[in-house]
Amino acid sequence: MSDASKNKQKTKKANGWEEAGCEFYQENYCADWDGFAKNPIAITTLLPSKQNRLGTTKRNYTHQDRKQKICWQQFSSTAPRTYQQNEGQFSLLPDLSQIINDEEHIWEEMFQIKQLPLSMHQKKEFKLDLQSATKLRLQGFNQLKWKHRKAWQKIALEWSKFNAAIKLWQSSLKNIEGHFGSGVAAYFTFLRWLFYLNCVTFLIIIIFVIIPNILTYQNFVDRCKLAQNLNRSKNCPSEDNERNTYFDLNRGSFDVLDIVQGTGILEVSLMFYGGYSNKTIGITFEDDNNSTQNENSYQIYYDLSSAYIFAVLGYFATTLIFIVKASAREFKDRLINGRWQFYQYCNLAFGSWDFCIHNEKSSIIKHKAVFNELKSSIHSKRIETERNNRSNDYMLKVIMIRIVINFLVFIALILSAYVIYLLFNISLKRDHGKFSNVDYGEENPFDSVNASRSSSLQLFELFFDFAPYICIVCLNLIMPVFFKYLCNFEKYSPLFVIKISLIRMIFLRLASLFILLSRFYYIVIPNSEKNSRSTSYNCWETFVGQQFYKLVLTDFVSHLFVTFCFNFPRAILAIYFNNNIVKFACEQEFELSKHALDIVYLQTICWIGSFYMPFLPGLVLGIMFLMFYVKKFQCLVNSKPTKILYGTSRSNSLFMSVLLISFVVSVIVLTYAFAEVSPSESCGSFRGLNTVWDAPLSSFMRMPIFFKNFVFFFGTPGFVIPCFFVLTLLLYYFYAVSDANKNMVEVLKNQLVLEGHDKKFLLTRLLLTHQDTQE
Amino acid sequence: MGQTKSQFSDEELQDYEDLTFFSKKEILLAHKKFKSLAPEKVGHNKNAKLSMSKILQYPELRVNPFGDRICKVFSSSEDGDMTFEDFLDMMNVFSDACPKKLKAEYAFRIWDFDGDDMLGVSDLKQVIERLCGSENKLDDCDMKEIIHCILAEADFDDDGALSFPEFEHVTDKSRDFLNSFRIRL
Repeated sequence: MSDASKNKQKTKKANGWEEAGCEFYQENYCADWDGFAKNPIAITTLLPSKQNRLGTTKRNYTHQDRKQKICWQQFSSTAPRTYQQNEGQFSLLPDLSQIINDEEHIWEEMFQIKQLPLSMHQKKEFKLDLQSATKLRLQGFNQLKWKHRKAWQKIALEWSKFNAAIKLWQSSLKNIEGHFGSGVAAYFTFLRWLFYLNCVTFLIIIIFVIIPNILTYQNFVDRCKLAQNLNRSKNCPSEDNERNTYFDLNRGSFDVLDIVQGTGILEVSLMFYGGYSNKTIGITFEDDNNSTQNENSYQIYYDLSSAYIFAVLGYFATTLIFIVKASAREFKDRLINGRWQFYQYCNLAFGSWDFCIHNEKSSIIKHKAVFNELKSSIHSKRIETERNNRSNDYMLKVIMIRIVINFLVFIALILSAYVIYLLFNISLKRDHGKFSNVDYGEENPFDSVNASRSSSLQLFELFFDFAPYICIVCLNLIMPVFFKYLCNFEKYSPLFVIKISLIRMIFLRLASLFILLSRFYYIVIPNSEKNSRSTSYNCWETFVGQQFYKLVLTDFVSHLFVTFCFNFPRAILAIYFNNNIVKFACEQEFELSKHALDIVYLQTICWIGSFYMPFLPGLVLGIMFLMFYVKKFQCLVNSKPTKILYGTSRSNSLFMSVLLISFVVSVIVLTYAFAEVSPSESCGSFRGLNTVWDAPLSSFMRMPIFFKNFVFFFGTPGFVIPCFFVLTLLLYYFYAVSDANKNMVEVLKNQLVLEGHDKKFLLTRLLLTHQDTQE
Repeated sequence: MGQTKSQFSDEELQDYEDLTFFSKKEILLAHKKFKSLAPEKVGHNKNAKLSMSKILQYPELRVNPFGDRICKVFSSSEDGDMTFEDFLDMMNVFSDACPKKLKAEYAFRIWDFDGDDMLGVSDLKQVIERLCGSENKLDDCDMKEIIHCILAEADFDDDGALSFPEFEHVTDKSRDFLNSFRIRL
């Protein structure tokens, strides 16, 4: 009752101001019946949909609402709200009692003030009013629950503040955004996300693999001197292979070259696979010391080999979860929008201007970019109709050209693969006794050369050692330029050009990686047809790890070199000389696809190599940190703002799809390695076993019998077949539900159009009637 | 830091923190940026009202084609002059933590040039013109076609203009909006 009377007074006082029943807000529209006479079009502001949106209705809690406990929920636009209209309209709320809210709901309402579209002044008033409103105190258990919620809320707030505070590189991102827009900034956000991912996975490896191994590390050579048994020839380096893989105690010197190549002291350390033990650490509860004897008498044991493999598996699982979570939204949008429109023009109109740009020059370029995009989308629509009318001859010619160019590209890929293959062979042949008994059947002339070699010879060695990797890196730089040149002849649409050049670059990188891996395979598996004295490497996993190490280092150094010593002078030339030719050669743009591939390539090598070199994720972590600054330099200093409009959603889906492809490739490679290749016999966590899986399998066999039976149950037909049927049914159910929803959406859309027509009709009739009555 | 903190009482800071998506540190940072636009005036009165031309000196707003509309929408006196509270409101809406619905609401108000609570053909025309910039002009028939395409995509009830629910739906689906409608503090 009191509310209605208050309303009466206020509407009498404020002529021309609307009072929607809630004392806090005032509308600028004259929307009572008098005002309607002055401005008939303003009747639309009386509509409930408008009132609901502007927050002019106050939500009164009923008993049902109290059951809902979502604190941060926004006001949904069609939530059932009871509202008090001003006089003259039907009041839906009985004025029997004013509902007094209890503390908890007042507290909830406070958080929802933030989400109202009001000015600060009005929000403050609202808050004051809420605070001074009469509240019911909560009793007993409810009070406890509320306090609990408050505490959790506070913790969540502190956590989000902490997260925001430790976010890396915020100022750099802001700088890049301001100059280049959010599309390019999305690349750096992606880089930061990969950095965090690597942090987490490296942490997993440190905790589960490296620390236990550090605790039980024994010097490799001492271990060999102690073991005087028959296994000596297998587990330890024999005397004639003194100069090969293992650290020679007699030499004692610490060579800088060893760090770069991963040989020498690094080889037997925990950096590579070879340094890890296959023991089991046990903790006994009978007496109080830790010891590393055999596990039979202990209650808890920690199998280092199983830990190694499970750490790697956990690493991949975590990565998969992160990737899926990050790309889920893109896929969800794609799936939902499947049959619908793409909102291309609305996206251009409403989402193309980055509000974060603060540079004059970039804004001019951005204007031009938006203009170009608008023009080209209109024209492509026209061209598409034109394209369907293209003459047959022209189409035939274009198709012939495309076939020829694809063939050329294929030839180029094969050639580059062959070059890498050759170089790798040469590098291994020249390897001076480092890896003896390579199955090339050649007598190695440098076998007997001992301690002191001249430095030029060492450099020569180094060059041939790194030759295949330098070649891979050079090809990765040169071939994309060649492909881009070829693309000009193919006459695809611009969007398709980007896609196809990306696919070709991915093929190039994967091809080089595959060649490398296949060479490793043939070296590692001894070729029994060749001479009998050739055995494989004593510790091939360490060898593989070293190759990956070299590849990563070469890649990083090449990036440094290209950015600072090649692109930077080009940029300087482009600034100081106004010549057209110079500008053509020297002006660079920050091409997102190429740089995204760089990072993803690094990450792929990290994933594949992590099994053979556990410290590789850590190394890649450090490299990524530096890469951020290298890429930032390339972006801010060397490049000028791009003329192509890069939207963030397009960039993000590009990065995620490339990352997913690489992830799948690395998983396939590692699975093959686990399944087919047997571990080496003399080093590492899995020495002497047939496959890598034997280690966790044997530790599983030692578990208590009920646990084993429980796990075996999952493999029996009694479980699998019903499970299979249930899953199929669930799949069908979800598919049916989603299909029904899609149909429902179509129906509702049509209904909405009809309602809109109805509304327009009624409004025009109202206007006409009003005009008629006026006359 | 001590000097700026003494300008705001703890209670006021707590108020601002409760009513926006910022933390206390960010609010003080916002005040610092506001002060840098007109140091003496804000030094006297921490909630001073600055004229639109001064506000438009802020780097992101200066190059923004909708700068004047932004000022008008957020100004409490509707003429483009903003106090610090208005400025805080503005940065609040443009911040990362702001929910989609609030951003869509204010974006709608910014782009509603004639103030009739709908994005009609004239509104859309002005939006596109401003986006392309003063040097690049689209021909009439191109412009008509673009507007026609936009309405075909977004106007569900077929009344020739975009109402707010339609606008909200469209910006929800096009994810670029959320990422581009943002100014970092």
